[in-house]
Amino acid sequence: MKPARFDYAAPGSLAEAVTLLAQSGEDEAKILAGGQSLMPLLNMRLARPQLLVDVSGLAELDYIREQGAGLAIGAMTTKRALEQSELVKRRQPLLHAATVLIGHPQIRNRGTIGGSMAQADPAAEYPAVALAMDAELVVQGPDGERCIKAEDFFVTYLTTALEPAEILSEVRVPELPAGTGWSFREVARRHGDFAVAGAAVTLRLEAGRCADTRIVVFGVGDRALRVDEAEQLVDGEAPTSGLFERAGTKLSEVIEEPLSDLHASADYRRDLARVLTQRGLAEAASRAS
Amino acid sequence: MAVEIPTELEDLPTSKPHWIGREVKRVEDPSLVTGRTEFIDDVVLPRMLHCAILRSPFAHARISKIDTREAEALPGVLAVVTGEDALRWSYPAVTAPEGWGTHCIATDKARYVGEPVAAVAATSRYVAEDAIELITVDYEPLQAVADPFEAMKEGSPLVIEEKGSNVMLQRTFTWGDVDEAFAAADHVFSEKFRWNRVGANPTETFGAICEWDPMDLNLTVRGSIQSASNFGLGRVATFGLPSNRVNIISYAHGGSFGGKGGTRGTDVACLLSRKAGGRPVKWIEDRMEYLTAGGSQAWDRHYEASIAVRADGVVTGLRVKLVNDIGATGEGFGAINTAKPLAAFTGPYTIAVAQYDLTLTASNKLPESPCRGMGPPPHFFVLEQMMDIAARALDVDPAEFRRRNFIRADQFPYTIPSGNEYDSGSYEEVLDKALELAGYAELRRQQAEALEQGRLLGIGVASAIEPGVFDLNVYSVVGMQGTGVPEGATVSIDILGMVTVRVGFTLEGQGQYTLVSQIIADYFGVEMDSVRIAPLDTRSAPPSFGPGGSRLGVAITGAVLGACERIREKMAIVTAGLMQTEPANIELMDGRFRVKGVPGAEMTVAEVAGTMLARSDLLPPGIDPRPEATHVWTAPGRAPVDEEGRTKSYLTAAQAVHVVLVEIDRETGQVEILKYCLCDDCGTRLNPATVEGQTDGSVVQGIGAALLEEYAYDDEAQPLSTTFMEYLLPTINDVPLIEKVAVVTPSPFAPLGAKGCGEGAMHTTPAAVMCAVNDALAQLGTRATEVPAAPHRVWKLIREANEKPQGA
Ligand SMILES: Cc1cc2nc3c(=O)[nH]c(=O)nc-3n(C[C@H](O)[C@H](O)[C@H](O)COP(=O)(O)OP(=O)(O)OC[C@H]3O[C@@H](n4cnc5c(N)ncnc54)[C@H](O)[C@@H]3O)c2cc1C
Repeated sequence: MKPARFDYAAPGSLAEAVTLLAQSGEDEAKILAGGQSLMPLLNMRLARPQLLVDVSGLAELDYIREQGAGLAIGAMTTKRALEQSELVKRRQPLLHAATVLIGHPQIRNRGTIGGSMAQADPAAEYPAVALAMDAELVVQGPDGERCIKAEDFFVTYLTTALEPAEILSEVRVPELPAGTGWSFREVARRHGDFAVAGAAVTLRLEAGRCADTRIVVFGVGDRALRVDEAEQLVDGEAPTSGLFERAGTKLSEVIEEPLSDLHASADYRRDLARVLTQRGLAEAASRAS
Repeated sequence: MAVEIPTELEDLPTSKPHWIGREVKRVEDPSLVTGRTEFIDDVVLPRMLHCAILRSPFAHARISKIDTREAEALPGVLAVVTGEDALRWSYPAVTAPEGWGTHCIATDKARYVGEPVAAVAATSRYVAEDAIELITVDYEPLQAVADPFEAMKEGSPLVIEEKGSNVMLQRTFTWGDVDEAFAAADHVFSEKFRWNRVGANPTETFGAICEWDPMDLNLTVRGSIQSASNFGLGRVATFGLPSNRVNIISYAHGGSFGGKGGTRGTDVACLLSRKAGGRPVKWIEDRMEYLTAGGSQAWDRHYEASIAVRADGVVTGLRVKLVNDIGATGEGFGAINTAKPLAAFTGPYTIAVAQYDLTLTASNKLPESPCRGMGPPPHFFVLEQMMDIAARALDVDPAEFRRRNFIRADQFPYTIPSGNEYDSGSYEEVLDKALELAGYAELRRQQAEALEQGRLLGIGVASAIEPGVFDLNVYSVVGMQGTGVPEGATVSIDILGMVTVRVGFTLEGQGQYTLVSQIIADYFGVEMDSVRIAPLDTRSAPPSFGPGGSRLGVAITGAVLGACERIREKMAIVTAGLMQTEPANIELMDGRFRVKGVPGAEMTVAEVAGTMLARSDLLPPGIDPRPEATHVWTAPGRAPVDEEGRTKSYLTAAQAVHVVLVEIDRETGQVEILKYCLCDDCGTRLNPATVEGQTDGSVVQGIGAALLEEYAYDDEAQPLSTTFMEYLLPTINDVPLIEKVAVVTPSPFAPLGAKGCGEGAMHTTPAAVMCAVNDALAQLGTRATEVPAAPHRVWKLIREANEKPQGA
């Protein structure tokens, strides 16, 4: 469990990092953030970059800022910083709830929000948050900056819309409209494990009826999935347990065959998606006004 | 000279023990917590090389060709070995059952994923790992066998062709007229169970530095070795060396739980050292090597059990059929896990007759190893589920059902049908205390209330025996020979009265050095600080087995007390000479040798020691002037097994009752432990803090086995649990607060009345947790018979139960 030989660079600025990546051939260089996913892959020799570009020390990528009504979060902000941020707790309760479900304090001390987004693990919490919150991901490349919407960023299992020489620099999370109820739930084998299945839900109540419902499930497909069919079933209806049950069932019917592994069969994952959606809707409704 | 080892605290030469029985601070801890204790990976020897092992990616494959030239050419590589070197320089591993061993590197074919195929010694581990990537191996994949029932079928692929079969052992033990008991029973209950592979996971994996001296033909192995003397004998056999040319130096290690096997890697590193001209070669097993190819796996079991029960709830007979998949070879001694249940086959109950139908099979999985508890934990899981099945059918409360069947306090010593003798116990008292601690009646009330709200609560009440102080004799039924397991200690008092105790084992975590210090301090009336423990290599140490089988605490107490007794006798002679009286008139009390009935006529231990070493003119003629003695303790009154495997094997029988409350999420199948209470009785508690530590750790391990841990394989015998993402150990978040009380029923046979307690709760916890799970599931008319009770399994059971028509 020792990595294959690689060169290491710790650029002093984001611009320098982009240049280094642009100078390297395709698949030659890899960005190192908190290393919580990359280091095991290096040690198992599943990742064999010739060059590691360590951006974890870039202060210019480590911030949590108010931006309009939302938050702009630098890609190298650690999960621990997000967990402890009063701003996040107050303004982004769903993001906060998701953060404390990621690994353990030791992992959150090093792991970054950018690293999690870029890793795009289908069972990870942050991509689900990004999708549920309609976040935007800001990317710097040789041709300058571009902004990618969450729904376009996560492509499939461990794959994003990032080009090889691009660096994710910021995650922009819009504000939850006033009165929005939210829920973030998952089933994991142990606390701190990647989810077997999870659901992020937001909704508002308008004259006693559900509105703007967003339902995202994760751990059940090749990436976090927003499920319109279930959302549409809920919007415009009174928030009853019967409705949430129907929405859960609908969701479990329309999602593609989930993966099967040691911890869960496809059938079990599908049913968890149902249960978590149902519970998530009920919880979000109870928080909505 | 025969010595009598005190079996009671009152027999000690102290008016009141100051140290024994108290929660003293562990003498091991300051060095451990400040990082000063030296572990094997800290050790750097001159000219040392590092080993990396190329392992088979196939579960079963013929090796047609290996090309190592590129690896040999890589700068920094000093030696490469393959099966050819193993054939030339070593023998197949010693195994149980006998004759199921192979060489440490695959010679003709690979028999499991992770089996060594070649290895490299290089100037760093990085270079060594680079080099093994340059070795090309031509494999011809063969059909693999991953299931014991498939393995037993005619025409199954054979793991070791020369054996002609995959059946390693098939034997039925019958104790009493079992057929008669089942024919006469009012009720017979039967069920099948599956215990999936679990195993030990010490914080530190195995590591060794091997040094083959080509001139002296001498092999030195330093390592994180649990039982140095046994490990040494294994190397003697593997390399065909005279036993005094193998020296094992054991280092402090970060736990074992049976997982410090490491023999394959050690033997590979030995071959590399020999090929590299005698340079020391370090092999540190990494976690993935450990999980897939180390001493990590045990207890891959398929059970069928039946119990015979009278209408009044008395269990009269037990039948257990076990098929255990041992894996590719017998080298890990996993088979002995299936022999140990003989030491406590019928648990804490008076079940009069029993039968054990035992089959061990080979497969293309990793060879099994020992694991904390050695084998009874799955057996008790089965027995306790059967007790609950019967109790439920007879509509008797599970606690009451156990009470009816307990061996009573006045029945000890008690011989169980499978031949072992239990020394003592107060099972009802233990049960009562556990129930009281848990507030059992209140828990039942909560359960009923929860059910009305649609919540599913379950309460498990389980009891098991922890056989303590193992003997090899019972393991002979699976091919390990011997009677008695010696443990020695040399106690020396120096010229200033300071005490050194030389032993043959090193730190593993259970606090034996503290225990030795406590005993010496009370025996000779010194401070614990005046005692130092010196672990010795196998060439210098007194005979020793070391930790294992809930044994060392008791055995080392016996050894140290024996040595103390011998010193006392010698010192009494010296004192009598000085005091001009007979030795019979001299007694040792509170650190002084004194003339009985003559106040003031006394000498301290230090004064006597000083006299022995510095005033030969004052000593009785012919006396050995060393204030030093060695005693080698072994359990008294042991004998080989009879034709049905019966013998007195384990010296002590600790007992416990655990009460567990769980809640099951009926939609997700998740099991949460809401309350965990236990009462245990392991006789005299020499250091209560140590006992509690062992108990806590063992409960956690048991929870892991019941709910989380599993070494899974696919149908081609590919391991699926290769990292801690798949092999799930309980973390602090998964462990409830463990509430504990104790009952103390001293052993009449063991030194100071202490019973083995190191493996502890592992015997009871999986059973208790599963009893709780099944108590909850019974409310839905279903039952979990497979561990771990992972959420997806529980979910499936609930779903199937919901689909069943009502009342069916
Ligand atoms: C024990 C343990 C438990 C864990 N549990 C969870 C969990 O429950 N949920 C969960 O979501 N995660 C979990 N993780 C993973 C953890 O959250 C990682 O931190 C995260 O996946 C990656 O973040 P990182 O900063 O460590 O990135 P790294 O590991 O450094 O990088 C990950 C990948 O992203 C790329 N990358 C990193 N930063 C950028 C960037 N700015 N631009 C472009 N590409 C980039 C890297 O090149 C690499 O491919 C766990 C990890 C461990 C070790």
